[in-house]
Amino acid sequence: MKRYILTILGLLLITIAQVSFIQKKSTSKEELGKLLFFDPILSKDYTISCASCHKPGYAFADTTTVSRGVARKKGLRNTPSAMNVSLLSSFFWDGRAADLEEQALAPIKNVSEMNLPLQEALGRLKNNKRYYRLFDEVFNSEPTAKHLAMAIAAFERTLETSDSPFDNWKFSDDSNAVSDDVKRGFALFSGKGKCTSCHFGSNFTNNEFRNIGLFNAKNLKDSGRSLISGKKEDAGKFKTPGLRNVAITAPYMHNGMFKTLQQVIDFYNDPNKVVPNAINRDSLLAKPLGLTVREKNDIEAFLRSLTDKRFHKVSTRK
Amino acid sequence: MAKVLLYSALAILSVFIEKNKLIGRWESKPSEKGNVTGVVFKDSTFEGYVNKKPFVSGIYKLENEVFSFVDNGCEGKKGVYKIVFFSDWDSLRFEPITDSCNDRRNGMSRLILGKKK
Repeated sequence: MKRYILTILGLLLITIAQVSFIQKKSTSKEELGKLLFFDPILSKDYTISCASCHKPGYAFADTTTVSRGVARKKGLRNTPSAMNVSLLSSFFWDGRAADLEEQALAPIKNVSEMNLPLQEALGRLKNNKRYYRLFDEVFNSEPTAKHLAMAIAAFERTLETSDSPFDNWKFSDDSNAVSDDVKRGFALFSGKGKCTSCHFGSNFTNNEFRNIGLFNAKNLKDSGRSLISGKKEDAGKFKTPGLRNVAITAPYMHNGMFKTLQQVIDFYNDPNKVVPNAINRDSLLAKPLGLTVREKNDIEAFLRSLTDKRFHKVSTRK
Repeated sequence: MAKVLLYSALAILSVFIEKNKLIGRWESKPSEKGNVTGVVFKDSTFEGYVNKKPFVSGIYKLENEVFSFVDNGCEGKKGVYKIVFFSDWDSLRFEPITDSCNDRRNGMSRLILGKKK
């Protein structure tokens, strides 16, 4: 009997050991990426993480015109949402990164953001017992730049949203999911407003670079895409951002110059009225749209319907 | 008179049968990156989506497996495609007849959809 009990206990111990071993091994690339995304270990003075500027409660965007990095240094452009990025074909307002992995490392090195040379960042991760173990578990290697980028990018690819009232209307065929204002707004967005010429696709961007007229080389000096491509004709072009959750990612545009969606819609309705001396504004915006007050409100209602349900509290607060 | 009625009924029936083949939800298999494209066809409208995210709405006509449509992309340009059903009407692909919207033509030519039960 004693031998029988001992055998059972032995088997039980082996099972527990195996289970705990399996559990330890189960850390995923995405989970590691999430830890890194929220950890200020990747900034010079240990004060800034990716999430400091990509705030989860605001669809992983920031609420300020431009974000502040280490030592409160001001960034140059508005922080875009880090959600719904898995289908994008370029990253940053000027498209200087071709994939999420390339994008993921840039803010760490950027002197205005986290200001930490990559070798120093990797040194910190190697000296950190937890990260050393996690990189070994996930990638079977010590922390490297490639694996750091892969982990953060993998986490960012999990940040997809597809449960907004608009999705419920169009994907789930629930015509009561949105109001008539939203339906009219969507028709205007696709028609008179000409918005789908650039904001077309499952995330409402066709991934192109456009000059909407926020560059005049005077008080609006950021020439955007041309700084990367070196092409004169790209001056003033910026990547068309996606619009999912746009109601909670104010302020808007690459320079955060518009505080509300109404201001954005007013601008598109008559860009020349807001920025009269723009250089090479896209011909799509050559003539005023002539939207009525009600039409503008309908377009705004449609844009608000793109807010994922997880953010509805934030959306109502705004 | 009876003949006219019969022909009318047959014509209506044939349109109904043609459309019925398409009505419902159709989806692609996941791509290499795991993306799933789908379309929900109703009587005369459709909604396209990627990974459960709607991205295109349109109106269509289906006559003898010729699918003509306009959507909210491509600046209102009309697309005309032959729909080829296969696997016992369970799958379909699109063969372009005319479509001056290059991006759409490239996308649709590659698309193979299976009927969702």
